[in-house]
Amino acid sequence: MSDHLSGTRAVADPAIDLTDLYAFPSPSRPGRLVLVLDVFPSAWPGALFSDAASYRFRVRPVSVPMGHSGALFDVGADEFALTCTFSAPAGPDEDGRSAQRGTCVLPSGASVSFLVNDERGGEGDDVRCYAGLRLDPFFMDVAKEVETRASGRLAFVPQGTNPLEGNDVLTFVAELDAARVFGPAAGSVFAVAAETVTLGPYPVRLERLGRPEVKNILMSENGVDTANKIVDLRDLYNEEDPFRLGPTYLDAYRSRLNANLGFFDGLDGKLDWTAQPDGTHPLTELLLADFLVVDAAKPYAEDSYFEIEWALLEGREYTTCGGRSLNDDVIDTLYTLIVNAGHGPRVSDGVDGTVPALREFPYLAPANPYPPEQAATIPKAPANR
Amino acid sequence: MSGVTAADRAGGDLAGGPRTTAGVIAMGNLDARIEGLAAQAVPGRLTAAGWGELVELTALRGHVGGRIDEVERVAALADMFVDRAPGDPRPLLARAGVAAHFHRFAAALDDLEAAAVLGLDRCTVDVERAAVCQAVGRYDEAHALCRRALSRRRDFGTVAAMARCHADNGGAAHEADEAAEAETWFLAARRAYRGVSPFPLAILEFQCGRMWLVRGGPARARTWLESAVARLPSYVPALGHLAEADAAEGRRAAAVERLRRLVLVSDDPEYATGLARLLGGCGASAEARFWRARAAARYEELMARHPEAYVDHAAEFWLTVGGDPQRALRLSLQNLAHRPTPRARALVDRARCRVGQR
Repeated sequence: MSDHLSGTRAVADPAIDLTDLYAFPSPSRPGRLVLVLDVFPSAWPGALFSDAASYRFRVRPVSVPMGHSGALFDVGADEFALTCTFSAPAGPDEDGRSAQRGTCVLPSGASVSFLVNDERGGEGDDVRCYAGLRLDPFFMDVAKEVETRASGRLAFVPQGTNPLEGNDVLTFVAELDAARVFGPAAGSVFAVAAETVTLGPYPVRLERLGRPEVKNILMSENGVDTANKIVDLRDLYNEEDPFRLGPTYLDAYRSRLNANLGFFDGLDGKLDWTAQPDGTHPLTELLLADFLVVDAAKPYAEDSYFEIEWALLEGREYTTCGGRSLNDDVIDTLYTLIVNAGHGPRVSDGVDGTVPALREFPYLAPANPYPPEQAATIPKAPANR
Repeated sequence: MSGVTAADRAGGDLAGGPRTTAGVIAMGNLDARIEGLAAQAVPGRLTAAGWGELVELTALRGHVGGRIDEVERVAALADMFVDRAPGDPRPLLARAGVAAHFHRFAAALDDLEAAAVLGLDRCTVDVERAAVCQAVGRYDEAHALCRRALSRRRDFGTVAAMARCHADNGGAAHEADEAAEAETWFLAARRAYRGVSPFPLAILEFQCGRMWLVRGGPARARTWLESAVARLPSYVPALGHLAEADAAEGRRAAAVERLRRLVLVSDDPEYATGLARLLGGCGASAEARFWRARAAARYEELMARHPEAYVDHAAEFWLTVGGDPQRALRLSLQNLAHRPTPRARALVDRARCRVGQR
C-alpha cells in the first residue's frame, strides 16, 4: 500500500505515518504548484495531527540532463521548506469534535494559519493551505500485489479489488505560486520530498517519502536479497535525509534494490533490464534519489508519474509535468517499469481508480460520509459494560 | 549497564523525557484508528497486518482505559485472527499477548512457540517469553532472554523489557539495588524512544512508578506516575496507582477523590476495593459497604471467567475489605500454585496469619 504502514514506527503511530506524497500543477490555476502529503491510514472522524511533530515538504530546484541516458538528476543545494505544525485541540464543539489549528511556515519565514477540516483553509504570501480528513486517493489491489511477490508470478486479475475503497486519510495540502514563493531563479522543475519530524531541540526524522512504493514494494523483503535476507530496512531508510543518503546503510539499500529489481524483472519470464557485471540494476541509483520530480510550468496531466524519469533514462526530452497527481495509476506505471521496462503491454493490477479527485482546492475528494458500520462479526464488548 | 550516565545513576531527570503527542489527540486517534480498522474488517478487506494492529490497539485501549471488557473483546478478536491467517505468526503473537494478560501462561508460551516456528523474529519472541517467565517467577530465565534480545537489537523495546525484568525481580537479594538498576534501565529506555506517540512512554513510566510503589517508594513512584498521567490524562491504571501513592503518603482525601472518578469509568474492581478500604478507614461506612459489595460482585464475575488472572487480586480483596480470610487463603494457595512468585508467597503468609495458621 503506497507508503501506508511502511515500518514499525509508522505502524505504532498513524498520525506520523506518511501514506502518500503528490506534486502536480494545479488543474484549475495554471502556474500554481500543488503539494499534498497524507498521513493516518484508514482514518476516522476525530483523527487529528500530532502536536509533537512537524509535517514538512522539502523542495529543491533540479535540472534534468538531456541526451545522456542513464544520467541522474542534478539536484540543487538550495532548499525551500514548507513546515506545518499543529496545536493541541481546543473544544470540543457542539458536535463533540475538537478544533485543531495548523500553522504552515513558508520559505520566506511568513506563516499561514488555518483550522483543521475547514475547507476554506488559510492563505497568505501566495500560498494556500488545507489540512483535514479526506478520502484516501490511493488505489491498488493489495492482496494480488502481495501474492505476486510471494509467488514470484504476476497474480493480478482484470477486475482487481481496491481494499482502500472508502478509506479516509488526514491530508495536508499546500498550493503555491512557485515562481513567487521559490523565486524565479529556482526555475520550474523541482524535486519534492515529505517528512514527519519530531519537534524539540533534537529533531528526529520519523518518516520520509518520495516516490510511492519504494519502501513497501521495492525495498520490502521478498527473500531474494541474499545480503540482507531477513532484515527490514524500512525504518532505517525512513530516517535518511531524502536528498543525502548517509553512507552507513547505503550499500544495504543498494543490495536490496538490485536484488529485488532483478526479481521483478523476471516476473514475466524474460529479462528486460541489463544489470551491470557487479549486479547493479539500471534503476537502482535513480530510485535511491527518492523524490518526486515535477515541472510546475507544464500543464496539469494525469498518469504523468515517472515520465520525467523515463525521459532521463532514455536520454530524451520529457513532455509532461511529471510529478504525481491524485488520480495517477502509479501501481500500473511502477509494475510496467520494473517488469517489462515498457517493452511489453502495460502491466495492470486491475484497479483503475477510486473516487476521482477534485479539480479545485483542496483537490482531494471529501471524506467518506457514510463510513461502513461495524459488522456483527467483530466482537462487541460484553453486555455488562 | 553501559551507556548510562552518572546523572541517571543518581536518579536525576526522573520527570520529563521526550515530548509526545497530547493525550487528547492520541486517545482520539486511537479511537479513530480502531474504528477505521474495524470498518475494513467488515467486508473482509483487512490484511493480516491490519488484524494484528486491530488486536493490539484494542488491547492498548483496554489497558489505558482500565476496561477489562475491552480486553475480553480482544481475546475474541485474536481467536478470529488466528482462524483467518493460520500460516501467519502475527495472529499467534497477538493471541499470546492476550493469553498472557489473562495469566494463561501455558497457552501464551504455546502460541509464541508456534509463532517462532512460523518465522516470527527471535528478538520479539524472546521479549514476549521473558514477560511470561517473569510473571511466573522464573526471573533468571527472563533475564537471560532479555539479555539475548538486547544482544540482537538494542532499542526502546528491548531496553524496556530489561527494565521490566529488573523491576519485577522479586527474588533479588538486594531489593534496593535491584530497584535502582531497574530505574536506570527505565531511564535508558526512555532515552532510546524514537517517536511521538505517548502510549509506549506513558506505559513505561507507569511500570516504573508501579515498581516504586511495590518497593515502598511512594514519592519516587509519584514522579513517574505523574509523568505518565501528564502524557495521558485519562490513563486509568496510572491514576489508580497515583491514588495508592496518595494514600501511602497520607493524602487520603485526594486518594478518595481520584478513586471516586475511576470507579465510574473502569470495570476493574481494584478501584472499588481501594475506595471501600479508604472510606471504611475514615468512617464513611455506608459508602464503603456499597463499593465493597460492588467489588465483590465483580470479582465473582471475573473469577468465573478468568480465574487465573484475578485469583491474586480476589485473594487480596477477601483478605482485606472483603472480610473472608478463609476464602482468601484458598485463593492465595491457588495463586501460588499457578505463579510461585515471592509476592504470591507473601500473600499466602498474610492469609495464614489472618486465619491463625501461623
